[in-house]
Amino acid sequence: MDAMLQSRLSIKRKQEEEEMKCVICSKETAKKDYCKQHEKAYKHIIERYAEWKRALEISWEEYLSEINKNSLTGEWAKEVAQHLIKSGEKQRVPQN
Amino acid sequence: MGKHTLIITEKPDAAQRIASALTEKGKAKKNEDNGVPYYVAERDKEIIVVPALGHLYTIAEERKGRNYYPVFNFRWVPRYTAERGARNIRTWIEVISKLANDADIFIDACDYDIEGSVIGYCILKYACGNKENISKRMKYSTLTKEELEKSYAKLQPHLDFALIEAGGTRHEIDWLYGVNLSRALTISARNWSGKYATLSTGRVQGPTLKFLVTREKSIRSFVPVPYWEIKAEVKIGGSIFETEYEKKRIEIKSKADAVLVACKGKNGQVEEISVRRFKQKPPVPFNSGALQREVYSLFGYTPRNTSYIAQRLYLEALISYPRTSSQKLPPEIDYKATLKKLSKASKYEKLAAELLAKPELKPREGKKKDPAHPAIYPTGKLPERDLNESERRVLDLIIRRFMAVFSESAIRQSMKVNINVNKHYFYLRGRQTLKDGWLRFYGPYVKSEEVLLPKIKEGQTIKIEKVVLEDKFTKPPPRYNPGSLLKKMEEAGIGTKATRANIMQTLYDRKYVRDRRMVVTVLGLEVLEVLNRYCPAVVSIKLTGRLEKRMDKIQSKREKRKDVSVDAVEILKPVMEKLKEKEKIIGEQLSHAVKRARLEERIIGECPHCGTGKLMILYSRKTGKRFIGCTSYFKGKCETSFPLPQKGTVKALGKNCRECGWPTVYVRIKGRRPWTLCFNPDCPSKENRKKKK
Repeated sequence: MDAMLQSRLSIKRKQEEEEMKCVICSKETAKKDYCKQHEKAYKHIIERYAEWKRALEISWEEYLSEINKNSLTGEWAKEVAQHLIKSGEKQRVPQN
Repeated sequence: MGKHTLIITEKPDAAQRIASALTEKGKAKKNEDNGVPYYVAERDKEIIVVPALGHLYTIAEERKGRNYYPVFNFRWVPRYTAERGARNIRTWIEVISKLANDADIFIDACDYDIEGSVIGYCILKYACGNKENISKRMKYSTLTKEELEKSYAKLQPHLDFALIEAGGTRHEIDWLYGVNLSRALTISARNWSGKYATLSTGRVQGPTLKFLVTREKSIRSFVPVPYWEIKAEVKIGGSIFETEYEKKRIEIKSKADAVLVACKGKNGQVEEISVRRFKQKPPVPFNSGALQREVYSLFGYTPRNTSYIAQRLYLEALISYPRTSSQKLPPEIDYKATLKKLSKASKYEKLAAELLAKPELKPREGKKKDPAHPAIYPTGKLPERDLNESERRVLDLIIRRFMAVFSESAIRQSMKVNINVNKHYFYLRGRQTLKDGWLRFYGPYVKSEEVLLPKIKEGQTIKIEKVVLEDKFTKPPPRYNPGSLLKKMEEAGIGTKATRANIMQTLYDRKYVRDRRMVVTVLGLEVLEVLNRYCPAVVSIKLTGRLEKRMDKIQSKREKRKDVSVDAVEILKPVMEKLKEKEKIIGEQLSHAVKRARLEERIIGECPHCGTGKLMILYSRKTGKRFIGCTSYFKGKCETSFPLPQKGTVKALGKNCRECGWPTVYVRIKGRRPWTLCFNPDCPSKENRKKKK
């Protein structure tokens, strides 16, 4: 019985993994919230926050709102910023 | 009647020029057979000059049909058997064959480069009946009478077989890569979706797309970072000058504010003045790439357009052969004679006279060489017809560049004044030309900024009028444009001077990129993703560059055609196996991309009413008529819609109306001039038009 349950669970997990889609563009992705493109943009957003914080002493939320407004922000980075604002995700980088 | 000499050229214009130059009795006679022109020149012996129409032969698969891959067996065939729309080639080949029957001397006078050599070789071998080994070769770089006569008098005893081998290999390898990879993509997508869309890639096209996609990804995921610049306006001798702060960018706002506070309302003192004189050497002569890049940056013509314009100028004997890598101008060109001819045009009279007065004419040359042709130069011949604007501009540019390379260096002076404002330094910079040298010749096409400063002494007190803090942000890398992409391809050593411009055009034709500042479309991104994932070798810039070098070595006999071809096929075979194995998944990915790309094409811009939806070209289910509607309609949020002309084609322009800022479309109807349509019923431009009426 246990073995059957385990096998069912593993199939379900596998299906879930297979069905993982980017939260922004719904493109299939492996084990992550974002597809490759949005993942790269997300990483940039995280990395650049340190520089923004040093420059302007602003909060994570303010930072997201600023880059969302900025015309130089790339399309994918903007989409990620909008998603982060909407989802209210907290900053994942360590606070100094 | 005795046998004649048969000369083969690449294009009809060249045939006419060669016949006119070689005839000794009157004018060359133009004949026509079945619509194919040829020219008869009378000398001690009759010469018939017959043109080709570029390539008359091409490569095709041995097994008929386009619906399969991989394809590794091919042969050279007449173009009319392999290409739709090349029916006239049949007549052309028949006429050449007929003329070859009565000829005893054969001369290949096609352009002296890889393409020209392959064109001539195929005609001599296939249309003339294996005459390639007895044929002679005419080598020339301009279509002027003098050079053509000289070239005819000093015929090369045989064809340049190394060049033909190199050209043949390039054609075959490019064909193998292009046909196999493009078919794999197209067939995969069609089999999955049941719909046809031409998807292509090739040996050079793939890596070129990779350059663009890499840049596109950096731009799309770019996050700007703020920084600040401080500028101070100073008053010297009644004039205002702008100075820049010692640190170009300040990365912390509080620090920038502190500088501003410290300098506001203070006067400055000149601490140091440094003056530097420097020489600006003349430019080097144009080769194909440099001409295409310069024309793009000055006039905005695409590299392909420039190569057409240059080709026309060459066929009219106004400039030398434009497909060259060389940056050298050998003395055989006879600089003096060319300048003397140019001096007959009032525009160049004074400039040419100035150069002719020099005791010695020595051009400044670049490092690049081309065994077949010198750099691009004007022949000195003046146009026989009214040139159109683009031809006039390109010719003027080539003439002025030619003159500039013989001129002196320009001497310029820069001045830097250090101003101490409350222990913060500001720099005032001046620039001036002391001796214009080559700038006088190339004047209209070179920007040299002149900032003249008044007399300033060290220790002098300077009044600071204003100190300004400017908010700035780091910028994403610039998009490629046709000029910068061409440079990138040259630097990476992919493609040739003759093919790069066309490859770029193919990327536009396939809708992988759009706009002048090249934006990669969804389709372009997906095609590259597929290639990168399943066959990284075919988009590898290193691998393509290496193959390119090996093909070049065939020309200098340092590589064998067979070795290079076998290795290229060895790379391709496993790639094709992988593509075949993954056909289904690739087909799905590409089909989605094609669908999204088609959708993307129909998007006009943001909806000016709701601001959240996008305006799109839609089709009514009831009537089938097209109109513009907002995508938010489907969410029940916006009912904005506008009518569209039902005839012709309508395309999103990607630009907003100058008057009202609404998105616009481009309408093209057969028999009418295309126009830009702003669909805002209240646009001021419409009001103005009504008033005029």
